This record gives sequence, structure tokens and C-alpha cells, in this order.
Amino acid sequence: MSPRENGSVGKPNASPRSPSGVAAGEGRSREDAFIQKVDICCTVYDFADRGKDSPEKERKRQVLMSLVDSIGAAEEPLTEAMMSACVHMFRVNLFRVFPPKVRSATVGASETEEDEPFFDPSWYHLQVVYELLLRFVTSPFVDPKVARKYVDSSFVSKLLDLFDSDDPRERDCLKTVLHRIYGKFMGNRPFIRKAVSNIFYRFVSEADHHNGIAELLEVFGSVISGFAKPLKEEHKLFLWKALIPLHKPKTVGVYLPQLTYCITQFIEKEPKLAGTVIRGLLKYWPVTNSQKEMMFLGELEEVLELIDMAEFQKCMVPLFRRIANCLNSSHFQVAERALFLWNNEHLFDMISQNRQVIVPLVYPALERNARLHWNQSVLNVTMNVRKMFFDMDERLLLACQSNFQVEEEKRAATEERRRLTWEQLERNADAFQPANTSFPAAPSSAPPVVPTVT
Amino acid sequence: MAMVDEPLYPIAVLIDELKNEDIQLRLNSIRRLSTIARALGEERTRKELIPFLSENNDDEDEVLLAMAEELGVFIPYVGGVEHAHVLLPPLETLSTVEETCVRDKAVESLCRIGAQMKENDIVDFFIPVVKRLASGEWFTARVSSCGLFHIAYPSATDPLKTELRTIYGQLCQDDMPMVRRAAASNLGKFAATVEQSHLKTEIMSIFDDLTQDDQDSVRLLAVEGCAALGKLLEPQDCVAHILPVIVNFSQDKSWRVRYMVANQLYELCEAVGPEPTRADLVPAYVRLLRDNEAEVRIAAAGKVTKFCRILSPQLAIQHILPCVKELSSDSSQHVRSALASVIMGMAPVLGKDATIAELLPIFLSLLKDEFPDVRLNIISKLDQVNQVIGIDLLSQSLLPAIVELAEDRHWRVRLAIIEYIPLLASQLGVGFFDDKLGALCMQWLEDKVFSIREAAANNLKRLAEEFGPEWAMQHIIPQVLEKINNPHYLYRMTILQAISLLAPVMGADITCQKLLPVVINSSKDRVPNIKFNVAKVLQSLVPILDQSVVDKTVKPCLVELSEDPDVDVRYYANQALQACDQIMMSS
Repeated sequence: MSPRENGSVGKPNASPRSPSGVAAGEGRSREDAFIQKVDICCTVYDFADRGKDSPEKERKRQVLMSLVDSIGAAEEPLTEAMMSACVHMFRVNLFRVFPPKVRSATVGASETEEDEPFFDPSWYHLQVVYELLLRFVTSPFVDPKVARKYVDSSFVSKLLDLFDSDDPRERDCLKTVLHRIYGKFMGNRPFIRKAVSNIFYRFVSEADHHNGIAELLEVFGSVISGFAKPLKEEHKLFLWKALIPLHKPKTVGVYLPQLTYCITQFIEKEPKLAGTVIRGLLKYWPVTNSQKEMMFLGELEEVLELIDMAEFQKCMVPLFRRIANCLNSSHFQVAERALFLWNNEHLFDMISQNRQVIVPLVYPALERNARLHWNQSVLNVTMNVRKMFFDMDERLLLACQSNFQVEEEKRAATEERRRLTWEQLERNADAFQPANTSFPAAPSSAPPVVPTVT
Repeated sequence: MAMVDEPLYPIAVLIDELKNEDIQLRLNSIRRLSTIARALGEERTRKELIPFLSENNDDEDEVLLAMAEELGVFIPYVGGVEHAHVLLPPLETLSTVEETCVRDKAVESLCRIGAQMKENDIVDFFIPVVKRLASGEWFTARVSSCGLFHIAYPSATDPLKTELRTIYGQLCQDDMPMVRRAAASNLGKFAATVEQSHLKTEIMSIFDDLTQDDQDSVRLLAVEGCAALGKLLEPQDCVAHILPVIVNFSQDKSWRVRYMVANQLYELCEAVGPEPTRADLVPAYVRLLRDNEAEVRIAAAGKVTKFCRILSPQLAIQHILPCVKELSSDSSQHVRSALASVIMGMAPVLGKDATIAELLPIFLSLLKDEFPDVRLNIISKLDQVNQVIGIDLLSQSLLPAIVELAEDRHWRVRLAIIEYIPLLASQLGVGFFDDKLGALCMQWLEDKVFSIREAAANNLKRLAEEFGPEWAMQHIIPQVLEKINNPHYLYRMTILQAISLLAPVMGADITCQKLLPVVINSSKDRVPNIKFNVAKVLQSLVPILDQSVVDKTVKPCLVELSEDPDVDVRYYANQALQACDQIMMSS
């Protein structure tokens, strides 16, 4: 039986509203034929052994393709039984346990082959099943109200599990499918958001490996851009609790562009969130990983592009402390990347308006670079930036300069004082006499806070 | 600084240090919390320091981690166990932060403190903390609470116990998989504190729910706790409740679940006793040994000896041995390697006859395996077989295996086999060794890889210890000394190293007569590296040699080296001369 025949069976007078009433007999046979085909596709073949069952495998692929055509060419709604059969078939074919990672055969060869993507041998069938699933969730003849019974949370949850697939082709299909399901099945939206948050939480806090973070974020990029304004509290929580912590894992580079996109979507919806995001970036700022640090600087610049003055002023002190640290990085690319932030016009503008706060924060770092940095190019750019500040506000710069010298001279003394303080504490502790002091309201003998070179 | 006389306010110092923007300084001051506490005294520590810390936990995770750790050992500073409860509030807050490391450390510290607290203090202070965390709004608090129940439960009153069990049951059904996972992985610990009657009912029903969780990750942790739980139950209850679950899991569609089962099946056998083991667990284990997934077979193969130890020899021979035979020619080298690492241990279990008839052919075929790890694993456990059937039956196959490993192109393989040479020597005896292995040991001294040469020198020392100085005098020393003329300085250096290792074993006479002249001669080497190594070796020989020899031979040589044009040679020569003087003075 060819799919064409199927399509023409119920055509003449079947209105979409009452498909079963009019030509029950004909409708029945269309349904039966469809379900029969779907049932054939429920047999799953072993692709580990290439030669095994090859005629059957070929036949299944043909049947799958004919189903793709028939959903594509459908002119009347699928019946509930057809939907149920389809979803069952999707489950049987797609929901599987991924095999363990292949151990490398020889001791030395593993390093080179580490990142080779894995290609599932059963893709020959899977590809068409995914195609069919996509047709199914996009077809106007699949009524979401009915299909929802089958495309339920358990189905979505299993589908989300598949995002961990090693096969990039599969993840790509899943991305499209999930996006469409989110669009079509409104009732599943809260569940999808919750389940994806759980995947992110697990990935971040149980230090797990996950292949599909980039794809999930890509779907969420468009989900977020569809959020209504003003943003609901729940969505902001998602930003703060699920997205921002994704900066922590060391593999952040794999999905950073998608993550940054999601985050900038949030800020575009609600500019006030920029400050939150920056504080988040500072919280997860990498300490030893220079590669990651450069990525962070890149994202920081993108976020700062969107920030308004009020938010900027709220976070500029910790922000420029961090940037000052980056300026002094002994990794020249990090230092350079940080110095280039001054090339950004929007940022430059905000810095010059807040120079009384910012210049004193970064001046010591510039001065240290000028004296000590090993890299010629960092040295040159440092000089340029210093010159820029000089042109911006000569008096301020000179004040910073003399202040820096004073601080430098005091530094040894401050450290000595700290040592003595602790020494005395230690002595007091050893010979503790109760009730010799009372708790003071303000620490009068507090040493001045001075940044130390790190 | 004139501040020494000024009064010091310990908390003010801390507040000030914690304000510093340099994280290293903040960390340092947290690390010295105990100093501050001692300076404050117990009462003010309770009333001022601890409340201050409770309110100031907005720092970076690294600082919080340090704080969580310090507070765990803070009981002495707050006035002993009766005041321990004051430490709970800051740790409670730390158990809710986002960073896992900080939370885990805070929970660890809470447990440490709770374990020392008095029973009514647990009821008054600790259990409320557990309850608050368990009903925390964010999942981090609920996750942390799961690790505290086993401390709280034993001291609780009966109504509280009921409540705690109920709360734990709720945590196992929490909306978030993160919490259910934490509850699943802590279930064993908690169950160990629960009374038998409740164990059979409530805990088992919690366990059943977890094993049917819709998240694979949760089910997996439930399986992981299976054996621990099984051991807590009476054997008949274990058979009734755990056994069906585990047998079911051994056929789970997820290989990870089967892998977990394979890893702990033998523990469960101990818990259920011999009869159910034979009826249910042996078939399950056999299935796992023949699993489709190599990872599962690896786990199962690695436990084969432990499993056989629980069974009677007949059962092992009847059911397990056929699988072992299959596994010895498994398509995955990792399976064969896992098998090879334990199979020798089966010999004492099966006894002499069965070992010769059944195991020996397997040993021999594994000794010829194409994968070096497999061969190495067999060789490393040779002593276990030697005790049962003696080495003769194996020795003819051993030699080619050893020679091939000795010349393997991966230096790590060569290194591994060298490590086993002393073991082999002791098992095989002097005769076999002289004929077959002596030459190999010398050959390694001239390996291209430093680590091999180093290991070779060490190996010679261990052989000399094993067979005695007389044997070494004949079979090692002449061959070693001959190599001092190697044209390449790196090889000459190895010989110097070997000499300094062998000297203590060989004793003063041989060192003086045979070894020392070679070293002294080398001080004329044209390569400075050799010369300063001569200085080092001479320094190491001084304690062995007679004072007269040191004065007559060693010192003049060192004096000469101390005037060498090379700065390093002079340095080490002077070091050695100083050492000579020190030894002379002390004697």
C-alpha cells in the first residue's frame, strides 16, 4: 500500500471537525493502515552488527519514510489512536540507554582521539524517526489538545535525557523538536522549564558531564526572547539560579556563546538585570584558568554594552577591582583583553563620567604594569591607557600617582604591623586573662586597608 | 611600631582583616579563628565571635569553605560539649549556600559536632536544624539535610523519631531530583541507625520508591546502597526485600545499573547466606559475566575471586569457571585485564587439583595475551599461585612473557615488569634467575628512558638483598662495574647511582675494595655532571667506609673536586667535605 492511497481515502467530504462521523469505514481503514505501518517501525534492530537483518532494516526505513510523507501530506487530523501509536513508536525507537564511552585501545593514542564526536550506527533509522517526530509536532493536523495526553511530561523528560547523546546530529534534531514542542504544547512549558533547570543544576553542582548544554541553551535563547514583559519572578530566578551558575564548570567554553545570548536576552527585556549578571560573573570569575578568564572578559564587555548608568554605578567598585586584577595578569592575552575594554565607546563614556571612583581603583594596576609587566605589547597598551586617563583628567591622575607612591612606601609598614598584631593576638591567646577589654564600637587601632600585590 | 602596648580587640582585628580585598588575607584570618577565640575566651567567643560569623557569610566560597572547616573543630573554644550548640547556626547557614564544596564541608562539620553533643542537646538544638534544613525553600538546604539524619536519629525521642522518618520519606519523594539523589545516597547511613521493625517497613518502602524513580540517576544511587541496606536486615528479610530487587536490577536496561549490581553482588551474597546465593545470585552473576556491555563484564570479572570465596569450590567450578574461561578470551582487553588482576586468587579457593586442571590453561593463555597489562597483572600475583601448585608448572611460560614485557616499546610496561623482578626472583629461585633473568636486569641499566635506568639500579639493590652479598659479588658487581666505561655519560651516571645503592648492602670490605676505586676513578671524568655525582656518591659512602679510608682516599679526591673549574662540582664537593667532617665529629 502506498502512502498516496492513504491520503486520498478520506478526502472527499471529511471536514476537519468530525472526521470519524462521516466515513467511518473509510476513516477506519486509513487509521488501520497507518497504525499497521507504525507498528512495523516498533521493531528495533541491532546496528552493532552491520550485516544482520539488512533487508528488514531497509524495509523499516522505507516504511518510516512513507510515514513521514503521509504526515506531511495529511489533509485531515490524525485520530487519537494514530497519535498514540506514533508516540509509542517514538518512545520505542528513541528512548534508549547510551552505551559507555569507548575506552581507548592503546595507552598513548587516547589524547589525540579524545574529542572525536561519536556517530551512532543506528542513525540510519533514527534520522527518519526524528524527521517523523518533527513532522508530528509541527503538523497542523495533530491537535495539541489530544496529543498532549501522549506528549506528556514523561515523554518530554525522556526526550530531555537524550540531549546527553554523544552524536551531534541527534542533538541537533532534538533541539528543533524541543523548540517545536515548547511552541505547540503550551501545557508542557512550565514542566520543560523546570526539567531543564534541573539538568543545569545537576550539571553545575554534581560536576557531571553533559553533552547537550549548548543545544538546550540555544532552545532557551528563543524561549527567553518570548518571555512577556515585565519578567515574572520565576523567570528571573531561572536567570539567577540556573543560567548564571553555568559560568562555573570548566567546560563553559563549549556553550558560552549560547549562554551569553540567553543572558543578553534577559537584559534586553529588563535592563536592571545587568547589575545582577555582572555580580554573578564576578562571583564565578576564574582564578587560575586564563582561557576562561578571556571568555569572561568577552562576555563582560557584551553585558556592559547593555548596562545603564544607574546599574553601572551600583557594581562598578567590585567590577573594576576585578578588572584591575586582570590588567596585572601575567598571561599577556588576559592583560591585553582587559586593557582593550577601554576601546569600547559606551564603556569609555561611563568610565569617564565615573572617573573619580574608577581611576583610583585601576591606577595602581597600570602603574605596576608599567614598571613590571614582561610583555612589550601589554606595556605599550598600558602606557596608552594611562595617557588616556591623563588627557581625561590630569589632576586626578597626578593625585593617584602620588597616592600610589605613598601607599607603596607604607606597604612594608602595614605588613609589619599586621604581623605584629597577629603576634600579639597569639600571645594574648596563650596567656588569656578574662575581662581585660570590652568590645569596642569602632576599631580605633585598625590598620588602613591597603591593597597588596598578588 | 609602637602598638605593642596598645590594647588589642581581637574581634576588631578579625572584622578588619575580613574587610580586606585581598582574599589571601581573608583566608589567613579565617584559618586563625582559633587564635581569635582563645584571645577572646570561651564566653566572648560564644557571645561575640560566633554571632559575628553567623552574620558575615557573604564572602567568596573559598573563605566560606575555610570557615565551615574551622567551625567543625571549634568545640574546645566555645567551652566544651555543653556549649557546642552555639556552633550550629553559622554552619546551618553555610549548609544552604550554592557551592557544593562549602555545603558538604558544613554538613561534615555539623556531623562532627552533633556526634559529640549530649542527647538532650541534640533534641533541643540539632534536630530543629535538621528539620529547618529539610523544609528549606531552596534545594541546597534540603540536600544538606539528608546527610544529618543519621546523627540526629539515635538521640531523638520516639515521637521525634517518627517525625524524622516521615521527613526522610518526603525528601525521597522531593520534587527535585537533586534532593532525591541526596536522600538516596544517604539512605544507607540513615537506615543503619533505624530500629529493625521500622527498617523492614518504612525504610524498605522508601527504598522501593527510590528504585522505581523515573530518573535513572536516582535509581542508580538506590542500587548503590542496596548492599549496605541488605547487610542491615536479617538474612530472611534481605532475601524477601532486597534479593528480588537486585535480581531485577541485574537485568535492567541501563548498563550503568547492571554495572552497579556487578560491583556489589558479592557483598549481597554475604548478607543473604549460602542457599539464596546458590538459587538466585549465582545465576544473576553468571548473566552479568556474560553481559553484552563490556563495562559490565569488566566490573563482574574484577569480582570473580571475591565471589568464588563465598561459594563452595564445587559451585565455583560448576558455574563460575566456565564463564572465566570465556572471559579469558573476551574481545575486550579491559575485561581480560580485569580478570587477570584477580584470577590468580582463585587458585587457593579451588585447591591444587582444580587449579592444575582448570586454571592453569587460563593462566597460560593470559600470559600470552597480546595486551601487556593482562600479562603484567598475571605476573604481579604470581605468589598466590605459587603457594598452591608451585611455580614449576608455570615457569616455562613465564620466561617468554617476561622477556617480551622487558622489551615492550612502552616504557611504563617495562617499568612495571622491573618492579616485579624481585618478587619473581624470590618465587623462582636463584637457579632460574641466573640462567634467564640476569642478563635482562643488566640490559635495563642501559635503557633509553631514565626512569627505567633508575628502576634498574634499584632492582639490583633489591636483588642483592634477596640473594645476599656473595651472590651479588658474582652475578651483579662485575657486570655493573664493567659498564662504567660506557661512552655516554648518562649511562655512566646510572652506574654511579647503582654503586651508591649497592654499597650499603655489600658492606665495608667490598665497597672499599671494589666499588670505591671505580668511583674515585670517575672523578677524573671529563663531564662535570659525572664529577658532581661522584661527590654525591662519595658523600653517601662515607658512613659505610672506615675512617682511615675516608681520610686517605675519599677526602683527597673531594678536595681536588672542590677546586674544579665547574661551579656545581665545587658546590657538591664542598657539601660532601662538610658531611665528612660532621660524621667525624659525631663519632
